[in-house]
Amino acid sequence: MSVIRSSLITQLTTNLAGSNVSVSSELPFESGGDVLYSKNMKTLYVDEEQISQDTLYEVLDRSNFLTNTSTVNAYLQVDAKTQLTDINAIISSVLSAKSVITGTITSESDYDTEIDLDHIVYTFEYRFEKTV
Amino acid sequence: MAVINVTSGSQAVLTLGTTDAMSLPGGTDGLILPLMQDVTVSATTGTVRYSVLSSPSSSAFTTVNENSVTLNMLLDGPVFFGGSSAGLNLILDNGLLKTSIDKTEIFWSVAFNEGNTTGEYFVKGKGFLTGLTPTASLDAAIWISPMEIVVNGEITKVIVS
Repeated sequence: MSVIRSSLITQLTTNLAGSNVSVSSELPFESGGDVLYSKNMKTLYVDEEQISQDTLYEVLDRSNFLTNTSTVNAYLQVDAKTQLTDINAIISSVLSAKSVITGTITSESDYDTEIDLDHIVYTFEYRFEKTV
Repeated sequence: MAVINVTSGSQAVLTLGTTDAMSLPGGTDGLILPLMQDVTVSATTGTVRYSVLSSPSSSAFTTVNENSVTLNMLLDGPVFFGGSSAGLNLILDNGLLKTSIDKTEIFWSVAFNEGNTTGEYFVKGKGFLTGLTPTASLDAAIWISPMEIVVNGEITKVIVS
């Protein structure tokens, strides 16, 4: 498990303690044709870290500097008909978990939603940039 | 035709020293400036143009040469602020910033290729460090700075023999 994913799960577990949502350390894989966050509603699943690398500076002695961009997605599905009473606090807690990752140039988080029948899926995205 | 490629990290190298011998490519205790993004050797001949009534074109005569070496670099802490060469190279002991502030005359060479093998070219001279302007931003989160060596006198071409 990547360090960033592991740290996020630990922080999310702390942030969401006492809320209506729990955090799983399992990946959001499919089981029996359904993704886990669809089968286990009100459970937040954190996906594997994706890393992309861009050149920040090229220098003549070839000691080039790169920017690593790490992206981590998290998924939560809840009932759309009867929204959780603390959904706003949950969203805020999930977004603020980014602060556990330090030593980065940028640290961003946002989310979007998708309604499927009577369910709503929250897809959170964390982005971290680091110079290497 | 034989272009001079810059295909390895040991080409296009600026070496600084407190003596001429130290500043040559591969010179003992010379400071090879790390993390240069680009380097420009400027050998500019001064000229004055004048016109005469009998000619439809202007004429010119030469004045003194104004030479310089300019570059952009990422800042290396010990090189910029001073590291230690146990007094063997005061530019490294004091760092580029203090060397510039103290207006210390330094010797330099720029190797066009590796510069320390027979038949290779390099240029050398002496001068003063100036133009240090460290800049940092979150878009490019590394300190960078331009630098200029205002050459005192001529730039000398050398072929390694």
